[in-house]
Amino acid sequence: MLEAELAEKFAAYAEARLPGARNARVANINRIHGGASRQTYSIDLAYEDATGPKVKGLILRRDPPDSLIDTERRVEFAAIKSAYGQRDLPVPEALFLETGNEALGAPFFVMGRIESGTPLNPFKINDVEPHRAAIGEQFFRHLGSIAALPVEGSALAEEIDVPAPDQCWRRELDYWASEIRTNARSPQPVAEAAIRYLERHPPPPAQRLSIVHGDYRTGNFLQDGEGTMTAILDWEMAHIGDPYEDLAWATDLLWCGNDQERAAGLLPWPEAIAVWQKASGCTFDPAVFEWWSLFAHVKALGIWVTSEKAFAAGENDDPILAWSGWFTHAAHELMLAMRLGPKHGAGG
Amino acid sequence: MSDIGMILDRIGRKLVTEVAPKLEGDYSGGHAGMSGLMAVMAGEAWDGAADRLVNEIAGMRGLFALAGKEVAIDQSPSMKISDLTIERNALAGYLIALQMSLEAREDDEAKSLNVKIWMHLMATAMARMPSPPDFPDAE
Repeated sequence: MLEAELAEKFAAYAEARLPGARNARVANINRIHGGASRQTYSIDLAYEDATGPKVKGLILRRDPPDSLIDTERRVEFAAIKSAYGQRDLPVPEALFLETGNEALGAPFFVMGRIESGTPLNPFKINDVEPHRAAIGEQFFRHLGSIAALPVEGSALAEEIDVPAPDQCWRRELDYWASEIRTNARSPQPVAEAAIRYLERHPPPPAQRLSIVHGDYRTGNFLQDGEGTMTAILDWEMAHIGDPYEDLAWATDLLWCGNDQERAAGLLPWPEAIAVWQKASGCTFDPAVFEWWSLFAHVKALGIWVTSEKAFAAGENDDPILAWSGWFTHAAHELMLAMRLGPKHGAGG
Repeated sequence: MSDIGMILDRIGRKLVTEVAPKLEGDYSGGHAGMSGLMAVMAGEAWDGAADRLVNEIAGMRGLFALAGKEVAIDQSPSMKISDLTIERNALAGYLIALQMSLEAREDDEAKSLNVKIWMHLMATAMARMPSPPDFPDAE
C-alpha cells in the first residue's frame, strides 16, 4: 500500500474512533527506519472537534509480510497498556488495535507519540555523554519497575499464558530452541551445545512472576539528550516470566558498546544491580544471572536466524535483517563459544 | 585486496558517505546506509570465505578422525563457496551428533575430544566474526 493511500485510509479510520472528530486528514506521515518487526510510521493527524482544530501525534505499527520477530500485535498492545501510567514508566499510550486486514491491509495498532527523544544507538553508546550516569540510573530503575508491575489483572495476563515459576526458564528455552531449529539455514553447533548446557544446568524457579519486556536494551528507548529517558519502546516480545530474563538481555554484551565494566554500557555493575534490586524488589544471585545471561545469547541467535531466513526467502528485504543474520549472529555465536568453551576445559 | 573486494568496499563507502546522507530523513536513507556497511563487510569477507570454509572442513574432518568416526560426506567437487558450504554444513550436522554422544560419556577420552571440539568451535566462531566497519558514523 502506498503511503498516500495508507494516509487516506488511516485518517478515515482515526476519525471514526476519536470522539467528536471530523475533517480528519494526515498532515504528515513518515516511516521510521529500524522497526523491522513492524512497519512503523510517525503520523501527524489533523482534525477538528467541538473545541477547535487539533493535531495529534501518533505512531502506527503495522504488520509487514514477515517480521524480525513473529509476535501477535495484541500482545504488544496489551503490554503497553499494562505499563502505561505505572510507576513513572515512560510508556506511550496504547490507543487502537486492529487484528484484521480490512482497515489498512494488515493488522496494526496505534499509540500516542512521545514528542521528545531519540534512540541511543548501542554501537555509538558514548553519544549518551555527559548524561551516562543519569540515563543509566533511569534505565535500571525502569527495568526494575517493569519487573515489579502487578501481573495479576494486567492487560497482558489477559492475553497470554502465565507460566508456573519453575517453568519460566523451560518455556523460554524451548521456544527459542525451536526457533533456531526451525529457521536456521545451516546447522548451529554452538547454539545446540549451548541449549544442551542450559538444559543440564537449569536455574531455580523464578523468585517472582513478572511482566518481561523481552527486548529492553539500548536502542529501544528514547532519551532527550538532557539526561532523561522519555520512552520505552518495542514491547513486541513481552511476556510473563522470570525478571532475570530482562536484566540479562538488557546487559547483553552486544548492547553494551563492548563495555564490560558498565552494565548496558551505562552504569558500573554494582550500581546497576543495586538500582534494579531496589526498584524491582528482587534479589540478585550471580549464578542465576549467569544462566539467564547465556540464555540471552541463545535467544539472540533465535532472533538472528529467523531474520536471516526471512531475508533470504525474500519475504522481507529490509537490510537490517541481513545485518542481523550476519554480524549480530556472528557476534552472539562468538560470545557463546568463548563463554562455554572454558566451562568445558577449552581455552580460558 | 582482490578486485571484487575492492569494488564492494568502494560501493559500500559511496553508499554510506554520499548516498545515505542525501537521503537523511527518508526511510530509504537507513537502507542505503545499512547496505553500504554490509557491502564493505562483504568485500572483506569475500576474500577470506573459501579459506575459512576449507579450514572449518579440515578441522571437522580431523575431529571425526580422532573420534574414529567414518562420515559419509563427499568432499566438495570444487573450491566454489557454494560447494564448500554444502560440505561444511553436512559435516556440522555430524559434529553436533558427535558432541552429543561425547557429552553422554564420562570417560577421559570423551572429555578430551569434547575439549578439542570446543576449541574448534571457538576458533571457527572467531574466524566468522566480521570486522566492524571503520566509518565514524557506522551504525
